[in-house]
Amino acid sequence: MNMQTPVKSEAIVRLEGVVKRFGEFTAVERADFEIGRGEFLAIMGSSGCGKTTTLRMLAGLEDPSEGNIYLDGARVNGKATWDRDTPMVWQSLALFPFLTVQENVEFSLKMRGVSTAERIERARKWLDKMQILEFADRNVSQLSGGQRQRVALARALVTEPKILLLDEPLSALDAHLKVRMQAVLSNLQKDLGITFVYVTHSMSEAFSMADRVVIMSRGKIEQIGTPQEIYHAPRNRFVAEFLGSANIFTGKLVEKSGDLWQVETAHGRFAVKAGPTPVKSVGDTVSFVVSAEKMQISAADTGVPGLRARVVGEEFVGASAIVFLETDAGEELKVQKSHGELASIDLHSGSPLNLHWEPEACHVLPGE
Amino acid sequence: MTRPSLFSLTLALPLLIWQLAFFAVPLLFLIAISFWTVRNFQMMPDLNFGNWERILTRGTFWDAYARSAILATASTVLTSVIAFPAAYAISFKLSERVKQWVIFVLIIPFFTSYLVRIYALQVFLSDGGIINAALGMLGIGPFGMLNTTFGTLVGMVTLCLPLVILLQVFSLNFVNRDLVEAAHNLRCGRLRTVFSVIVPSARVGLVIAALFAFILSFGDFVSPLYLGGGNPPTLSILITDITKSGQQWPRAAVVALMMIGTLLTVAFAAITYAYKERGK
Repeated sequence: MNMQTPVKSEAIVRLEGVVKRFGEFTAVERADFEIGRGEFLAIMGSSGCGKTTTLRMLAGLEDPSEGNIYLDGARVNGKATWDRDTPMVWQSLALFPFLTVQENVEFSLKMRGVSTAERIERARKWLDKMQILEFADRNVSQLSGGQRQRVALARALVTEPKILLLDEPLSALDAHLKVRMQAVLSNLQKDLGITFVYVTHSMSEAFSMADRVVIMSRGKIEQIGTPQEIYHAPRNRFVAEFLGSANIFTGKLVEKSGDLWQVETAHGRFAVKAGPTPVKSVGDTVSFVVSAEKMQISAADTGVPGLRARVVGEEFVGASAIVFLETDAGEELKVQKSHGELASIDLHSGSPLNLHWEPEACHVLPGE
Repeated sequence: MTRPSLFSLTLALPLLIWQLAFFAVPLLFLIAISFWTVRNFQMMPDLNFGNWERILTRGTFWDAYARSAILATASTVLTSVIAFPAAYAISFKLSERVKQWVIFVLIIPFFTSYLVRIYALQVFLSDGGIINAALGMLGIGPFGMLNTTFGTLVGMVTLCLPLVILLQVFSLNFVNRDLVEAAHNLRCGRLRTVFSVIVPSARVGLVIAALFAFILSFGDFVSPLYLGGGNPPTLSILITDITKSGQQWPRAAVVALMMIGTLLTVAFAAITYAYKERGK
């Protein structure tokens, strides 16, 4: 039922009807997807959507209530985390404060019975790779946020696993450092060629780093796809709203001529250019999105047919501005334009404007 | 450092007065009388180093000192080892609700006076007591347990256990659960995680719990006397013996000061060790 893009290579992880319940509460409701070898997959959603639970099931920190998880072809249900090669980077980083930086990195090698000499050599190699070799003998508490991040990565990667799990590792960093660490993570993943599964609530983190993104809400997977696919073709209202689109219209499909549809909404009849995916017949209810950048805006008295709405406010976003509007029915709409395009328009709160768009600017939500 | 305000000084005043009246002044007095002279069962102010010389050159004193130190160390180790699995289970395995009840139950022993509890233990440990009667039904024993080192240790551990478990539980509650999962995730099995992650994480609290056991046991008078028989004496028994024989309060003061000095040293060493950080 999900709009799935096939994984780019052979799968390293496969989730088959995975359900996780905590008592009465269902944290994950039937997760079915694959993660490719060498893929950077982000699992995104707001708090409580089940993204962390999904990651913890991959790590072996939670066992699924139903369904199967396959790692590298083998079913791993019930297999303890210490018997898997699925190192994880915690949101809190979970570095051992009673060990030095180097001892932290050596930890999992020590647990595997690697000899002291080899342990030191491998740990130092990773500290060097993460550019923190000079802090090897320091106490973890004396490092900055970014340096600690690097220790956590080195500690997880020192055993050279095939997959790395990351649970919102950047959420504690300030904006500047966050962007820098995103680049570090991206490059690291490309260099190593291993699979990264990255849980986050931040769209910018997910979309800037991931090959594919899984969007979850209340335990359900809403959409899986590349950032471009999801951005340009959200599957349903939830995903569209999650990505920040406000301009969602719902109406009845009254006429089809090829892929040019006529949709009768509360605001009038609109021509919609439907893509190849949605399967709808005349009489069906249809929802479509018009992205904020593709909306045209003009003064109310120009006589162009369209939708009337009143200005609520304006927000500056660098070189452009987002105008927030409201229809008489109370529906919220957003238009994003350059300052130049908006210069001639009266944007005082309450002033009426006319909105219109090309049929090609519409995207029909296939999952609605 | 900012200078403390008059307001905060006022808040500290009751504690200051209390400590001055009941700790600092008596301690200074104790130091002073350790140099006094006893003549005709009368104490007289003096600067006499003879009391210190007399005590510190006596084998009896050093025997008692070693005995007290060994007993206190044994009690500390025994209590900590017995307490830890229980504290671990309470902190890591019980639900919050059950945890609250167990902590309440652990406080119950403090409701009864220590002396009363020790009298009750005499009934258990004596030759014809409850334990030997039970063992007798199985055809073993009787074992002499009262008036032995074993008896003393039973008393000391009973005294220290509830407090040590509580202190251990509180320190284990503060162990970051992510560290435990991270250790498991890095291939550290359950038992190994206890020793290589949980114990080091809770080190400060565990050491302080052990320190309390040492302090309570080292100065304990009741268990060595009523369960251990009091002969040969520990330091606290030695103090009462000395005061009884010829009003030798100055010499008793020397023994007491040696005990205080020992506890200060042990406490300082323990706390330094507890807060010692790895790395530069």
